Amino acid sequence: MRKRFSILAVLVTILISPTWGAAPDFNREVRPILSDKCFFCHGPDAGKRKADLRLDTREGAAEVVRAQKAGVSELVARIVSADAEEKMPPPESHKKLTTQEIGILKDWVAAGAPYAQPWAYVPPVNHPAPKVADSKWGRGWIDAFVLSRLEREKIQPAKDADAVTLARRLSFDLTGLPPTPEAVAAFAKAYAVNADEAVAAFAEERLNAPEFGERMAAYWLDLVRYADTVGYHGDQDHNASPYRDYVINAFNRNLPFDQFTIEQLAGDLLPNPTREQKIATCYNRLLQTSHEGGVQEKEYLAIYFADRVRNLSEVWMGATVGCAQCHDHKYDPYTLRDFYSLGAFFADIDENAHLNPARRKGLNFNTLPSPRPPELLLLGDEDQKEWDRLQKEEAAKPEQAKELAKQLAALETKGRKVMVTEALAEPRPIRVLARGNWMDDSGEIVKPAVPAFLGSVKAEGGRANRLDLARWLTDAKDGVGGLTARVMVNRLWYVFFGTGLSRSLDDFGGQGEPPSHPELLDRLSVDFMENGWRMKHTIRLLVTSRTYRQTSEAAEDLLKRDPDNQLFARQSRFRLPAEMVRDNALAVSGLLVKQVGGASVKPYQPVGYYRHLNFPTRTYQQDNDERQWRRGVYVHWQRQFLHPMLKAFDAPSREECTAKRPRSNTPLAALVLLNDPTFVEAARIFAERIMKEGGVAWEDRIQFAYRQALQREASDEEKEVMRKAYGIGLREAHDQPEERAKLFGVGLTKADEALDPFKLYAWTAVARTLFNLSETMTRN
Amino acid sequence: MSLHLQRRAFLGQAGLSVGAAALGSRLFAAGGAGEPHLPGKAKRVIFLCMAGGPSHLETFDYKPKLDQLHGKPMPESFTKGQPIAQLQGQTLKVQGHLTKFRQHGRSGQWISDFMPWHHKIADDICILRSMVTEQINHDPAHTFMNTGTAISGRPSMGSWVTYGLGAETEDLPGFVVLTSVGGRNPQPIASRQWSAGFLPSRYQGVEFNSAGDPVHYVSNPAGVTTSGQRAVVDAVAALDQRRLKLTGDPEIHTRLAAYEMAFRMQASVPELMDVSKEPKHILDMYGATPGDGSFASNCLLARRLAERGTRFIHLYHRGWDHHGDLAKYMGVCCGLTDRATWALLTDLKQRGMLDDTLVIWGGEFGRTPMFQGKGGAGRDHHIKGFSMWMAGGGVKGGASLGATDELGYNAVEDVVHVRDLHATMLHLLGLDAERFSVKYQGLDMRLTGVEKARVLREVLV
Repeated sequence: MRKRFSILAVLVTILISPTWGAAPDFNREVRPILSDKCFFCHGPDAGKRKADLRLDTREGAAEVVRAQKAGVSELVARIVSADAEEKMPPPESHKKLTTQEIGILKDWVAAGAPYAQPWAYVPPVNHPAPKVADSKWGRGWIDAFVLSRLEREKIQPAKDADAVTLARRLSFDLTGLPPTPEAVAAFAKAYAVNADEAVAAFAEERLNAPEFGERMAAYWLDLVRYADTVGYHGDQDHNASPYRDYVINAFNRNLPFDQFTIEQLAGDLLPNPTREQKIATCYNRLLQTSHEGGVQEKEYLAIYFADRVRNLSEVWMGATVGCAQCHDHKYDPYTLRDFYSLGAFFADIDENAHLNPARRKGLNFNTLPSPRPPELLLLGDEDQKEWDRLQKEEAAKPEQAKELAKQLAALETKGRKVMVTEALAEPRPIRVLARGNWMDDSGEIVKPAVPAFLGSVKAEGGRANRLDLARWLTDAKDGVGGLTARVMVNRLWYVFFGTGLSRSLDDFGGQGEPPSHPELLDRLSVDFMENGWRMKHTIRLLVTSRTYRQTSEAAEDLLKRDPDNQLFARQSRFRLPAEMVRDNALAVSGLLVKQVGGASVKPYQPVGYYRHLNFPTRTYQQDNDERQWRRGVYVHWQRQFLHPMLKAFDAPSREECTAKRPRSNTPLAALVLLNDPTFVEAARIFAERIMKEGGVAWEDRIQFAYRQALQREASDEEKEVMRKAYGIGLREAHDQPEERAKLFGVGLTKADEALDPFKLYAWTAVARTLFNLSETMTRN
Repeated sequence: MSLHLQRRAFLGQAGLSVGAAALGSRLFAAGGAGEPHLPGKAKRVIFLCMAGGPSHLETFDYKPKLDQLHGKPMPESFTKGQPIAQLQGQTLKVQGHLTKFRQHGRSGQWISDFMPWHHKIADDICILRSMVTEQINHDPAHTFMNTGTAISGRPSMGSWVTYGLGAETEDLPGFVVLTSVGGRNPQPIASRQWSAGFLPSRYQGVEFNSAGDPVHYVSNPAGVTTSGQRAVVDAVAALDQRRLKLTGDPEIHTRLAAYEMAFRMQASVPELMDVSKEPKHILDMYGATPGDGSFASNCLLARRLAERGTRFIHLYHRGWDHHGDLAKYMGVCCGLTDRATWALLTDLKQRGMLDDTLVIWGGEFGRTPMFQGKGGAGRDHHIKGFSMWMAGGGVKGGASLGATDELGYNAVEDVVHVRDLHATMLHLLGLDAERFSVKYQGLDMRLTGVEKARVLREVLV
């Protein structure tokens, strides 16, 4: 056991601490220990600080790191003490320093206990690409940073992935859909001739496809907790889907991320905002809200307030400012006052629609959708013209008001609505709530302000507003643009490499993980800003790097040494996200309906799944037209009862910000793929395609099926397994004609009667097998 | 067999992704290198959630003074500056008990006449008369009771417990939720209440349905026989095995196990749900009609799940939100739950299972001593003092703890916060609430939160 520990310790040391023996790096090595083991009592929270000692600042720690008698500092004496009274951290904290951590702290104190600013708040610098011994491998500066680290660690990068794997990877990563066999064949040819050009061209085509926006939106919508329902209590529908379309379009038209930020937080405050910019402000309405009868208004104002601060700070700042709701942050320099000042930026949003104002306005909020003014009515061009005309007429001819109102109402049903933000002239006063207690009216009233240690925000009109906040977030010079850029490029890296450069995607604070490649993250951030905050630019850089192109297969020793792939000596391998699992089956079968945007859709869902919903009670009405086969990103997002298929594959309820979905692998997910009618119907339609397009011979058909589902040929061994499954299917189809009819009856589509029903039954079994394979649902 | 070994066996069977396995080992490292925290008396929990907030003043909390002051203004000393739900801005007056209370059992516990079957288990249960919670509306109050906080995204107690101890079954989920039909217009209940939060999704509660598929997608697709399904699962396994050899991807290993369990569940879940083979006297004892989706049937299913190794069984019965017509609806709700609750305890006892099964009864909050009149007399939500009970699993029977003040408003003696209930439950299961933590967003997350939680040692055997 001891031996194992020492090997581990050496490995960890090699991995994390290349400068072993020298003064440890404060941010990477020392702060995480101090933060996790000491800051709870000796950190930024003045209210809970013990012995008036703080270790998060150089000044605070000066006393205890100074050498005392026998050359030992108080800090070191305490952490090595055997006396339970003296020992730090104290036993009752259940925190323990490992031998290695004690070593790091000793080395740090011996080197004079140097402090450094928290890494995330130091503006990123444009580091030059490091020199590397192997000048042939890399394709640009990203690779130089990765390779230089690997060379230091004496690790070889992995070989390039094969053409099929790479085409699938690029296709799923950039569009969320599998590549067609034809596209893969063309790519494989080009890849063999000139890999760089082939990858660049294949990527470019997908970056410019409308499916790109749909794929990227799915990630963004998790962050901003987009959903189609209010979340609390009755979980009624609210009007938000045009915001989802806005996000898709923003990605597709490569809207600069700074502009994207400004429009969502403060589009309404821009001069002459466009319709799109108004829709963007639906961001401010996406929080969870409640229409429960007995809600106490003040309590819910506090709940909504905190929800906004949590989301804003997690999405844009990679910070957990939400932790400062009741007390100063335990680990980061966010104070209680910062929390309320930051939230005060949103004090101009009318929360009335987020409460239960039925009493006040005579509106019934327990309807579907629940009316949530202010809302924008979105009509097609023609309808909009008609709408404008009717409104003019209404103003001019009050005597016809009744008739015109009727016409307007009729027109309204043809449009879609979206909740938007309209600033109140008089923002409501915001008080600091001591201990987060919403009943306490004694706290001081605060104006909108950014966290004090991050400077201040330029306010053009006296009181700072959401627009000032959004500009501060994206201003590298006078704001925290560098931080915002870092947070976003780190997430892009995660999307395309399976793990972030800093693995804590939503916490860049003291308790988060510093990046494995800080200079690379810096350079990417600076490059992102210098290239106009264009996300497609950064994504292009990532996917055309040699680092991206590596195979995900790794030798045993590398897996042991770098289990979490922090060195990027290989690509990552992971199960497709929920939406892609769905989209893949629909695409392979040919059922997928490619239409961008629109109202949310309702696929097949188990009967009675909404039975616990009330106010009003709910019966799920599945769509009975082509909306049935649209992409996962458009599926109705019921916060309290998310579609069980999406849920089984780890899609979040979107009650809170989700930067990283879990990747589970459960029996419930297996049941979905085996039995959910969506997948059963897709399998049968796929079977029909196999029979119609895959030739006549069984051999040709199975190869066709493999090429469609996995973009490769089946091996002999695989064919044997499939032949057996096919044979059983054929037998069952003969023995049990009534079952055959039932299977063909799954879903809205009719089985093709021209096809041999026995064979169709058997091919459906083969198709179901293909949909359930690990390889099918894995991005390699 | 130590808990550690059981857990390892469990992880081995069903498998976990690498990240999740690491999370698991970190948990036990924190608890002392893989050893269980403590020897636990309880092996499993059955939580009978009376959703809506049953009135403590019509169940377990007898206050003669309440009857004396009936109809009088509620003394302001009680209510000033206190949170209030639907009675906001209204004149507050005292509402006396809407039924009689009597002492029952050798222990002489005070129980109301609404619950005649509870009278018979007075000596088995330990009543907590001094519960407090922090949330006054249903949805957040349930979230608080289940996760220890009102913020969404945290694991529910069933997930925590299953995560900590695993399950003792390979054919059924470790955390099962059953909701029953019947009663008055019920408050909604969100699936968030059985969410695994930031724990791996496999620890989320699996809801069993009384109508349709007992578990979503647990039936073969229409037109696919069990042998046909087997053939597909076998083909998938053979092909995945091959892929595993080629790539060494550990996720495939996990998936093979998941598919096998999924296939077994297709048989074991219907077998579990089919209570028609239970002897008639057992069905009669619970008052259950097979397939009726009643609380009685769910209590019987809870026993069957407990027998089969499910770790945490959470029953919800809705309809306890009695703002008005309280007497009438107490009759309805008790009529649907009282006897079955007695039957569950009695059945567990006669099978020798009550000693290691912790049963907990209660709602997300209690109800005001003040009158509310939506229809006939009723009561509003109340969080400053209410009653719950525990039984079995190492808890003293025929006991009680704590008290509210003379009007049943504030818990004043041995106040039991929700986190104390959680800590006690974990303790009985052999888990130390303080050490039972998981790192999330840089914080050591616990079911009991950051405040100190108290194990209610007075009520332990």
